[in-house]
Amino acid sequence: MIALTLLMTFSAVSANAQSKDRRKSFKSWDNYEITTEKVGVDGTKFVKVWGFGKTVDAATMAAKENAVHACIFRGLPGSATAMSTPPICPNPDTLVSHEDYFTTFFAPGGPYLAYVSMTTDGVPSGTDRRKVKGGYKVGIYVQVMYDNLKRKLEADGIARKLSSGF
Amino acid sequence: MIRKSILSALSLTVFCLGVSAQEKIKEVITSDYNRNSVSVVNIQRADSYDSSTQGAVSSFYPGEKFDINNIRTKFLRAPKTRSEALTQEEADEVVSRTAFAREILASIFNRRSDGMMDDQTVRYRGNYDAKDQDVINARAARVGTDALGDLGHGLVSGSYIVLTDFYKVDRDTDSKGNVYWRTNAQAFAYKIGMDRDALNQFYEQCWIYDDDDPATREAKIKAFQNLDIPMVPVARATAAGTGSSVEEAAESCLGDLITGLENRIPAWEVAVTIIGKRPLRAKIGTKEGLKNGDRYRAYSYTEDRNGNLKSVKRGYVRATEISSNSGMSIGETEPSKFYQISGIANVDEGWTIKQSNDLKIGVSLGPKFLGLGKLALGADIDYLMNTSNVGTMSYLLLSGSLDLEKTDYVPIFFGLGFGYGFHLTRMFEIMPYAMIGAEHMGYSNSDKSSDRFVRESALILEPGLRAAINVAYPLQVFGKAYFDVLTLQGATYKLYNEHVGHKSGLGIQFGLKWTF
Repeated sequence: MIALTLLMTFSAVSANAQSKDRRKSFKSWDNYEITTEKVGVDGTKFVKVWGFGKTVDAATMAAKENAVHACIFRGLPGSATAMSTPPICPNPDTLVSHEDYFTTFFAPGGPYLAYVSMTTDGVPSGTDRRKVKGGYKVGIYVQVMYDNLKRKLEADGIARKLSSGF
Repeated sequence: MIRKSILSALSLTVFCLGVSAQEKIKEVITSDYNRNSVSVVNIQRADSYDSSTQGAVSSFYPGEKFDINNIRTKFLRAPKTRSEALTQEEADEVVSRTAFAREILASIFNRRSDGMMDDQTVRYRGNYDAKDQDVINARAARVGTDALGDLGHGLVSGSYIVLTDFYKVDRDTDSKGNVYWRTNAQAFAYKIGMDRDALNQFYEQCWIYDDDDPATREAKIKAFQNLDIPMVPVARATAAGTGSSVEEAAESCLGDLITGLENRIPAWEVAVTIIGKRPLRAKIGTKEGLKNGDRYRAYSYTEDRNGNLKSVKRGYVRATEISSNSGMSIGETEPSKFYQISGIANVDEGWTIKQSNDLKIGVSLGPKFLGLGKLALGADIDYLMNTSNVGTMSYLLLSGSLDLEKTDYVPIFFGLGFGYGFHLTRMFEIMPYAMIGAEHMGYSNSDKSSDRFVRESALILEPGLRAAINVAYPLQVFGKAYFDVLTLQGATYKLYNEHVGHKSGLGIQFGLKWTF
């Protein structure tokens, strides 16, 4: 009985912690920089994105996450050489209404990694690698497989197909 | 009144210091480096040395790190005798009389007599300057690698004129009667005053297209002839050289002049990021004129509370293995290797290193105890010949010392040697060395015989061990233990030495070393 109580307490604490982490993680998406570098090759977006983490590797992973997040929820800003891109899911409630889906999608080593590849030569370096309070802030060049990502979210029922309105 | 003046002076000083401090904070070293192009133009003084100095300048190659703009003007005349150096104002005046910017543009864009231009050179330079990151970015973008040539347009603003001025040219003879020449030299660097907007304006107003009608062509040719782009003075360097001819003496100055300008023009200093550790590696090489032993300073980056970027100095590295990268990048440039010689923290991946030329010459000074005599003051000069990946360094050594106890006989030791330094850590070097030299004693000026020097000297052999530790690079503290072997004493030396009492023996030296 005691063991069962302990297990339940542990599970509750653990779930609460996970939920907090997730919220914290989602919250961190409120504040990152992303710029469109150039028009990417067909079906891709070529962007420079920043991430923060305790280590350079963690910051790099965060930056990759941010790039995919921007494509799904924020859209990509335009630049002198490229037009802006609207988000795949323009509805601001999508993240909350599909919280479990995105928790899995953006989990460490999760499916989002299939849609982003780093094109920075080597490690983030020079002024793109900054020691800041609590860790590192890095800027990396990434290629997001935008069309594939969009198709995946449409197939999973997260994003609406353009044809669905007709 | 006096108090008021003092207060005003103090306020001004504090203000100036504040401004200076603010400027320092704002200064951020970055790894952005692009190739620059130069044209070397000689100042002639309408005298017999014109052809020799011109010959030296015409055959001079400033190094692989520069592109050469082959402009029409190769020399300028200055109305001043060669006994005096040209002042900055006089050089500015001479330069302003020639339309150098137009000549540079004509060279870069291969302008023909009919006013037509092409962008072949620009595209070639753009491709040649492209880094691996540019190639990778181009591949990820729809425009593809063909667009790399466009990078060349950005290089136009990195065009310079280097004006060389040789003055105080003297003929002299050495003790053996050989004639040699001496000259002082200075170089003035001017940068083309052309930003991106001015370049766009140039394309718009002066670029002739195949389908332009004759009137438009004429207008564009006129627009080119009326281009008024200034050459902005950016730096000045001086040097001196000797040689068996005036041309040779002038040639010997030119490399030093370019190095001097490099130290004063930040855009000429190569900067790159470290891509790997053990050993440290960075993607520069022969294309950037990198040579073994070249010194670079490392920087990392932080952000302050307000998000302002700051570069932090992290010590120095020296180039060890130089990669041959003289070709177009395909995204897989072979890196050169470096060895860290100073700094508390280990230089890390992603940090920036920036060229920080030095003479590779260390000067040591300190008292010597025992050895040949009891107390002497010793000064050594070492020249760094080679640096390896594991931190071993070869030195050419020059040593001299004066016995402080028997100064009546002026016992002076001077020697030449070779040392091989091992770095147990980057802060600590231990160097076995061997030296051969002579000790001379003598104070008489009446003896004019040719073999006097030999008779008054003895051969000294000196094996030894030097240990040096970084205090605050380039300042080091060193200690040296050596064994002086006194041999082959000249007759007069032997006589003097009966009073001086120098003999073979173990000695030690302590002191400070500064690397220039």
